Order: sequence, then C-alpha cells, then structure tokens
Amino acid sequence: MAVGAPALHEALGDIAGREHLLRDPAALADHAVDGLTPAAVIRPGSADEVSRVLGLCAAERLALVVRGSGTALALGNPPRRLDLVLDTSRLRTVRDYVPEDMVATVDAGVTLDALATHLAPHRQMLALDPPGGGSRSVGGVLATHASGSFRFRYGTGRDLLLGVRFVQADGTLTWGGAKVVKSVTGYDVPKLMVGSLGTLGVLVEATLRLHPVPPASRSWRLGFGSAAAARAFLAALLDSTLQPDRAALLDDGGLRRAGLAPDAVVLLIGVSSAPEAVESQGQALERLARAHQGRAEILADSAWRSLGAAAAGPVLLRVAAEPSRLLDWVTAAQSAAARLGVGVSVLAQPGHGVVQVSLWAASNPARIGPELIVPLRRAVEAEGGSLVVERAPTELKGSCEVWGSIDREILAITTRIKMEFDPDGLLAPGRFVGGL
Amino acid sequence: MTLTPQILRALEGIVGPAGLVVSREGLLTYECDMHTFYKGAPEAVALPVSTEQVAAIVRLCRREHVPIVPRGSGTGLIGGAMAPVGGVMVSTTRMNRILELDFPNRCATVQPGLINLWLSQATREHGYFFAPDPSSQMVSSIGGNASTNAGGPHCLKYGITVNHVLGLEVVTGAGELVRLGGKAHERPGYDLTGVMVGAEGTLGLVTAVTVRLTHVPEGVKTILASFSTIEDASEAVSAIIRAGIIPAALEMLDEVVIRAIEEGVGAGYPKGAGAVLLIELDGPAAEIEAQSAPIEAICRDHLALEIRVAQSEAERALLWKGRKEAAGVFGRLTPNWLLQDAVVPRSKLPQIMKELLAIAARHRLVIANVFHAGDGNLHPLICYDDRVPGELERAKQANEELLGACLRLGGSVTGEHGVGLDKSGSLSMQFAAADLNFMARLRRTFDPDSIMNPGKLLPSHPACGEGFRPAVRPLPAGTWI
Repeated sequence: MAVGAPALHEALGDIAGREHLLRDPAALADHAVDGLTPAAVIRPGSADEVSRVLGLCAAERLALVVRGSGTALALGNPPRRLDLVLDTSRLRTVRDYVPEDMVATVDAGVTLDALATHLAPHRQMLALDPPGGGSRSVGGVLATHASGSFRFRYGTGRDLLLGVRFVQADGTLTWGGAKVVKSVTGYDVPKLMVGSLGTLGVLVEATLRLHPVPPASRSWRLGFGSAAAARAFLAALLDSTLQPDRAALLDDGGLRRAGLAPDAVVLLIGVSSAPEAVESQGQALERLARAHQGRAEILADSAWRSLGAAAAGPVLLRVAAEPSRLLDWVTAAQSAAARLGVGVSVLAQPGHGVVQVSLWAASNPARIGPELIVPLRRAVEAEGGSLVVERAPTELKGSCEVWGSIDREILAITTRIKMEFDPDGLLAPGRFVGGL
Repeated sequence: MTLTPQILRALEGIVGPAGLVVSREGLLTYECDMHTFYKGAPEAVALPVSTEQVAAIVRLCRREHVPIVPRGSGTGLIGGAMAPVGGVMVSTTRMNRILELDFPNRCATVQPGLINLWLSQATREHGYFFAPDPSSQMVSSIGGNASTNAGGPHCLKYGITVNHVLGLEVVTGAGELVRLGGKAHERPGYDLTGVMVGAEGTLGLVTAVTVRLTHVPEGVKTILASFSTIEDASEAVSAIIRAGIIPAALEMLDEVVIRAIEEGVGAGYPKGAGAVLLIELDGPAAEIEAQSAPIEAICRDHLALEIRVAQSEAERALLWKGRKEAAGVFGRLTPNWLLQDAVVPRSKLPQIMKELLAIAARHRLVIANVFHAGDGNLHPLICYDDRVPGELERAKQANEELLGACLRLGGSVTGEHGVGLDKSGSLSMQFAAADLNFMARLRRTFDPDSIMNPGKLLPSHPACGEGFRPAVRPLPAGTWI
C-alpha cells in the first residue's frame, strides 16, 4: 500500500485516533527530519498503540523516525527514507514510583521537568541534566545518550537506566533489565538501547534509578586566565578527595552564550552534601583554585540551567577523548574555528573528556566540513577518541561523516545486530553509524 | 562430543604443552565452579598467555564446532565455569598482568586473569582503588568479574562492575578481535561494552579490560549495629535509605551467620544478637560525621541493642573479614546448602524477611542470611543435609517458593552472581518469551555457531549437561558470597 493511500491513513487513525494523526502540510513540515518530510505524524497514546503502529509499518514497509521533544532530531545521518514520524509526547504517565525504593518507572514521553516535579516532594531526583533542558523527554535523552553536569557524580543514562520496555521493528513489545537497583539476569538490554537512536526499537517505558536530593548544595565559578592553569587545576581536583556532584567547563564564547560573565576558561563546580560538608569542601575547593591562580566565586544555582545555550549553535560537534586531554581539545577546536573565522562556544564535561563545540557563523560555511571537522576529527581519532556531528544543516552533513570512522570489526557486529532486529531497515534507516 | 587427536595437537600448537591440560586428574580440577552441584569436566583446558593465542583457539574451535567455556578463577556460584557438554575450557589464569596504569585518566588496563584485589593493591599508594569488591576479591579475576558483572558490598555506593568497565578487548564467538570502548568515556555506536559485561562468556572471550580507578576517599567509618530480630534490622535498613542516606555499604547478617562467623574466624560480632548491620560510610570527613549521627539515631529508633564504631583500621578490617569470609564458615552449620541471589525492591526487605522465616518454618529448614541489605540483594543460604531423606527436596521447594516471593514483590532472580547453568531455567519467571527471544537473537549476532559457553545464561533444551546433582563433598573450602 502506498504511503499516501487513504486506507493506510485510516488504519493509522484507527490505532491512535484521528486527532492524533497529523497530515496537514504545515504540521508535516514541522516534523521534517534533515529535509525529509514525512507523509504523516502519529502520536500514539499507549505502548500497545505503538506496538500496533509498528506492526502496521512492518506489514507495509513504512520507514519511521521516533521523535521525543524534538530537541535532538538533528543527530544522525539524514534518513535514507521517511514515511512516518512517531511522536512519543502522549506517552507521559509516571507508571510506578515508590520513593523508598528510589526507583521510578515512567513512559518514554515524560519530560525531565514533569518527572522532577513528581519527585520533588520526596526530595529525590533523576540525575540527568542534558543541554536542551527539562522539556526533553526521558526516552529521547536515553536514545541519544545525552548527559550534562550531573554526569560528574551520577554518570549517564547508561548508569541510571535499570529496565526498559520497547517495541521492536515487527511490533513486538519487549522488556529488558529489571525494576530493582541491582540485577544481572540475562543480557544488559538497557545498555544496548541507550544511545541506539531508535534504530533497534521504540522506547516506550523506562525504569530509572533515582537519587536523594542532598540536604545542601552550593556552586562555584572558578575562573582561569589560561587553558594551562585550568588544566593544572582540573588534574589536581580529579586527583583529590573532593567529591563534587556536578561540573562543567566553558570557554569565553560559552560563557557569553550562557549569559555568564566572560573569562578565558571557567569551571563550574557544584558540591552537595550535608551543610557542614558543603562548607568544608567549598573551602578546600577555593584553596585549590587559588593555588592554581583561579578566581573563585559563588555561582547562583540557576546558572546550571542556562548552560544549554552554550551548546545551541547551528553546528554542534561532540569530541570525546581521553579525559586528561580535555583542555587540549578545547584549545584545538577554538583555534580551528578562529582560522576559519567561525564564531565558537565550548561546553565541556570535566573528568569525562567530552567537549561540545558550537559553531555559530562562518563567512564561508562550505569550508567547515573539509577544513575544520575533518582535520579535527582525524587528530582526535588518532588518539582513540571520536568526533560526532551532533547537529548541522543537512548540506554540511553531506560534506563530512556525521559519526566518523568506525572500526571494521565493530561495524560488522553493529550491522549484524541491526540486521537481526530491523532486517527491513524501517527504524530510522540510514541514521546510525555506518549508514545503518 | 570428543576432541580428536588432531584438534588436541592444534591446541597444543597454539598454547604449547605447558598450556594444555588433558589428563583426567587435571581436568577434574576444572569440572565445577563454587556451585559444586553442577559438574562437567572439559575435554581439554587451554591456558593461553596472549590475546593472539585466545583468538587462535576461538578460530580453531569455530572451525571444528567445538564448545568453548571461559574460566577465570572459578569462584563463580552459578555453574558457569564448567563444561556441561565438554569441549575446550579457556582459563585466563596465565593472563594476569597489569598492562597499564594511567592515573591522569584514572583508569587501568589489565589482562582478564588479574586478581581483583591486586589492582587495588597496585594503585592504593597512588591514592586509587578498583571499586567493585565481590567478597571473593582476593582470588577472583577481573575478567571473571566483568563476565559476571560482579557486585560486592560497596557497590551500593560505587555501582557494580559494569559501571567501572570503560573498555574491553574481546574475541567474539564469530572470531573477531575487537576493542570495545576504551579510555574515552563514550563512543558512537551501540554500547557493546555494556552488552559484553555480564554476558558470562556467551558472546566472546575477554582478553583485556580497561577499568575506571576510583580515588581513595578522605575518610571511612564502619558502624556495627546489632538488633534482637532480623525484622527490626530490616526496618532500620529501609529507614536509612528512606532518609536519603546511601552508605558505601549496608550489610546484614543474621543470628545463624553471626554464630558461625564467631566460631569460625572470630570477627567480634555480638553473640546472641538476632541480626547485625554492618554500615560503612566513606567520603569527605565532614560528610561522614554528618551522616553517621542520623544513622545511629535510626538504629536506636529501631531498637538497636548495641551500636559500635570501629576505632581502628584493624578493628574495621576484622569486621569486614567476618563478612567477606562468611560463606566459608558455613561448614560449621550445615553439611549442604543452596544459595540464592534474588533481589527485592529495598522497601520490601521487612516483608520478604517475614516470608522467608515463614518458608523456613514451613519446610522445617534453617535459612541463614548474610546479604547486601542496602540494595535489597538477598543471599539466603538454605541449609540441608543430603543424608536425611527428603531434605534436599524440601530445600529445593523452599528455594522455589522464596524465588517466587521475591519476583512477586517486583524483584529479580539474580542481583550479582549471574545466571550460569543454575538459574537459566528461572529466567522465564522474570521474562516473557519475547524478552528471552530478543536476548537469544542478540547472542546469535556475536556467536553465530553457538560455541560460546553453551547451555549458560539463557534457558535451553534440557539435554544440556548433567544437571542438578547433589555433591557428596559437603562444601568447597572457602566460598565467597
């Protein structure tokens, strides 16, 4: 049946309800992925409806891309084809939350803000604060392996996702993992799903490890006049007994974008604990900063929420390398951008070696791919790191690989997994590594 | 199946005569892990010294359709490192070197046979340690820890092994030599490292592991609280977690276990108490002080008989010695036992303890408890005597009922020991057919010829192995749970 066939639309409408099947051109244009406009957008209201939609897609060979809040839809190669966008925003029920267990099971479309509101009365939190903010959906954050400043203590979705319910390409509703904080029963399917970008299944429900909100917290802004001073301080911090819970590093451009006072390099550090422990750790942190010619100031907690602006450029690169090389890659990205006359802002994850580089404007955008991304990636990959183009106009994606080079054997395994679970290439075809 | 002389010659060509065990007596050493019910000796044991040798073994076995069973130190508790259908066992004991310590990147790369504790010993003077601490850590290998995704008392705060594995070098069942992950903390593509950890050698053989190193905390405080009943102690555990305090470790020992430990290793636990909680806080000194006061208050509110703080490193070490060697002293209590590793949501601890006592009474059995209470990860030890007719059957029945009760409360079949042969049949209690099917297909993508550790981890046809067979020998000397 053709994508435009009335019978098909009727069948989709029957599953989710006519009002949840979007077909007017303006709405479809809003849901385009890398310039490809879907023939329809469907907003299923339950896991069962998702399962029936995928069953229909499998029968009719329709290609689909999943959309959470739409924040990270730019990630990935342009889809090979696109018939349907499956919007998870109606999957927004908190299914199960027992505060005493510090575990919550939520629908994939629940936003981080909605979940935070649900948990706040019990002084608990999901320790994920990716750029893009609280309007992002839990499913989207997991599928894109997005993370933020809380990674410093709590890790990423990889560490926080205990169990996952998803719908396979053939419509089979499947569960992996457990609803308790510790389980090694069978393969760790949640790990496979984190970062899989909707290429193996559609996430419909997540069971998440929560953390208590510590009784007190305070944040510091530590300014350094040079990358070298910041590097020495960061090495000393990581080699100390201090236990911050969140951290971010911004360059001058990043600070300006985030609405913070400019400086060469700034580390933002949050400490949470009992009040007296926050006090004593804060003093130690300030002493350590001063010993490295750093200027320490108290930072308003609200500043953490503004950091996403530093990673909001029309082109966003993600460098992941050895943690000790963080500042070197910050500097390398800055100089590469300066050479092309491109505005740049940096938001990085100290301790994890991840640098998000936003490129804002260029006199000649066609040069960004071959003259900035390709050589920078070559240098990062030579040290065992990676450079992913997280966001870029579709034309730019065409001039450089989105994901970078993938080891041949790993690509072979990845291909076998993708072919096993999505043999017809219906789930985000072409978007993933190796054009899978 | 039988290994032909040609295959044996080829194996010897790969690992050399000193790296191959084929004698009957030699092979008996490898017929079981610490779960001695399950016996199955391999037809040959290869002890490679390099990744290249491991890769050559896998290529050979693949070509000849010979099953491969990986083995680290053999301290597993699940019928994992044993060969139910024969084949070649690959032991990593000769691959036990630290390949690299990288303190600026807070990681280490080690060969799979390296003993867990050795890594912490090698890094402590630099201010670091390897956080996963299964009770077997003085003898279990990091490759084995990664393959079973081992836990340990301190994973309450620090996470289990998978949270500490950054990268793996693996020879897959398909014969590929791949480097997954690495020093960089993320990488495009599926998280194959995360899939491989805990796969119990069913997807491939691990030949090197890159792990996180954790900075030694500023301070540590170990508190022992005793209670007259296990119910009171369980309520105290739930109250501590409810108060938003996550200690580094929160361990429970019941009366039976306390008595056995005191008669065995003598750790200074209060005799006569119904239950003991071993609570450890670590981190910045001010945080420890701020958290220990409410913990002590909670224990007092739950009718603690005694609260004692270890006053010296020696006293602290002794308290932990008792806990970590608990299972080794069970020979004093019972000739035979079944061990469980089920998990319940931590708020359900008081409830499952009540059910456990009822199940024990109903089957006229002693069930001893020593477990990771903060995680809700139980280790009930169902004591029986196989010389008493019918007692094994009652123990098995109690085991099933207890597992069912844990799952009804929303729990899991295994929290840290793994599945192996022992629990492969129980997975269907926790997963639907579609879920198991997904896992079976995932397995096939790594091991298309089904040669990697057959019969383990997932339910399979019953023809596998010699199955459940009570051992005549009562207890392995030194077992860790």
